[in-house]
Amino acid sequence: MVLVIEAINALREFLDTGGQVLLAIGLLIFVMWLLILERFMYVFGGYRTYKKQLTADWFNRAERNSWNAEQIREAIISRAGMQLNQNISYINVMVALCPLLGLLGTVTGMIEVFDVMAITGSGSARSMASGVSKATIPTMAGMVGALSGVFAATFLQRKAKREVELLEDKLVLDH
Amino acid sequence: MKLIKQFSKVAIIAASVAMSSAAMADEPMNLDALLKTLEQGQVAQTKENKAREAEFKAKESEQLSMLKSLEQNRNAKLQDSERLETQFEENEIKLSNLSDTLSKRMGSLKELFGVLQQVSGDSSNKFMTSVVSAEIHGRSDEMSELAQKMGSTTRLASIEDIEKVWFELQREMTEQGKVKRFTADVIVNGGEKQAKEVVRVGAFNLIADGKYLNYNSATGTLSELTRQPVSRYTATAGELQNATSGLTDFALDPTGGSILGLLVQAPTTEEQIHQGDTVGYVIIGVGLVALLIALERFFALMLMGMKINRQLKDSTARDDNPLGRVMKVKDQYPNVAYDTLELKLSEAILREMPKITRNLTLIKIISVVAPLLGLLGTVTGMINTFQAITLFGTGDPKLMAGGISQALITTVLGLVVAIPTVFLYTILNTRSKNLLLILQEQSAGIIAERSEKGA
Repeated sequence: MVLVIEAINALREFLDTGGQVLLAIGLLIFVMWLLILERFMYVFGGYRTYKKQLTADWFNRAERNSWNAEQIREAIISRAGMQLNQNISYINVMVALCPLLGLLGTVTGMIEVFDVMAITGSGSARSMASGVSKATIPTMAGMVGALSGVFAATFLQRKAKREVELLEDKLVLDH
Repeated sequence: MKLIKQFSKVAIIAASVAMSSAAMADEPMNLDALLKTLEQGQVAQTKENKAREAEFKAKESEQLSMLKSLEQNRNAKLQDSERLETQFEENEIKLSNLSDTLSKRMGSLKELFGVLQQVSGDSSNKFMTSVVSAEIHGRSDEMSELAQKMGSTTRLASIEDIEKVWFELQREMTEQGKVKRFTADVIVNGGEKQAKEVVRVGAFNLIADGKYLNYNSATGTLSELTRQPVSRYTATAGELQNATSGLTDFALDPTGGSILGLLVQAPTTEEQIHQGDTVGYVIIGVGLVALLIALERFFALMLMGMKINRQLKDSTARDDNPLGRVMKVKDQYPNVAYDTLELKLSEAILREMPKITRNLTLIKIISVVAPLLGLLGTVTGMINTFQAITLFGTGDPKLMAGGISQALITTVLGLVVAIPTVFLYTILNTRSKNLLLILQEQSAGIIAERSEKGA
């Protein structure tokens, strides 16, 4: 219990030193990872059964040679592609937004530094420290968020592409 | 002119003639008679003079006696002065002896008084700014009086005075560790004075009605801070005010109010936005345009998606959605070859495409332009700053800092507009892409499935 409270306090302190932008970045990274996890679970879980069902449906067809069959195959593959690529564009945009939000935090922090300078009229490092930490911590957080997301997003994208190609190979047309 | 000159000459001549004629008139007086009168006059004069001489002689002795008394007086005074002078010298010696003994006897005490003066001067300043003075008045004046007293050489501190310093220092120390309630006049934001219950937290903060107060040491008045800190902190102030016993959390300003005082000078969000000036307003305007377009697109695409979903479940082609219109192509050409049908389908899809992707590029452009506009504002702000530097030099960081914070705010505005716009663009783009995918890759499939079912 004490550990939890201590952890919450530490987190709150971290958010205080980083400013409100850090909260936004944290939220963004959280949502991004939720989406990434959902994707992973789908690719390695839900999609397997879906694929099996699709291939079974295809091979249960009476004929796989006509124009109709070709179009239906195209539709099946396109549907699977839509399922696989769902939310990946959101993950990508969130990866792109992380450094942008970090930049926003940097600029707001710098504004605070210059406000302090405008009020006190001095370059006292101690009074500017809070602004500087508000400028640097969100940048770092944004970078960390983007880097952590970039690998997952690339992996998912490649995986989706491969799975679509695999499905195309699997649903053979009879000649 | 000549005429006047001549006339005046004539007048002078006439006057001299008249005078000589008057002297001629006295001529008849007898000379003997004149002599007689003179003689008589002389006799009378000598008489008078003699009388006067007698009078002077009579007074002479009187004058002498007066002179004597005055001389005596002078001598007495001279003696007096001599006596006083010697006394003065004696006193001088006595005085120096006495001050010697004084300094000898004071010895280490002198050092003590020096320290006392310093301490009382210091604590006078300390008490002046301490928030404890809001409750206990007059300590600072007493201390500065004592410091002045110690500064003059003629007066000594009594034991009471010394104990007073000790007592006041001890009291300040004790009060620092206390949370106390007392009633005092508080100047509220409207400017009027109200008697309020004030809670003092050590020597750090004063609160009333859950609001932080500012203690003005010059006038000794309490006033509500015009800008309070964030609600998380003011809430703790309210809790403290309502608490009766036990422990409560409280956010205190360890500098004794100077950080809170600076809070008043920090600009609010609204003021900061106005600092952005023209470029800032342009960015906000562009952002609003993007938001409106995105809203319109969002609802349009949602409606379209709903209709297409309904169409997917329905076997008869409807006219109110793109998928239905594409599927109608099949009904229009029931007996054409497959490759012709495919061409007709792609043509129908091309016709639907602009309706689905309309205005999306505009949102994309705005999401790119907004940070660029922010950069523009930054650069113009920096130009202003450098102009200020060329005019006034770099001596005053206040002058430059104002311009720089102005320059940075446009960057912030640009990012604040760009970030949600990028997000909105992605959402809308995915939606429209999905709809297009349905049209492009599935319409043929759906038609094929239907025809198989029908067959």
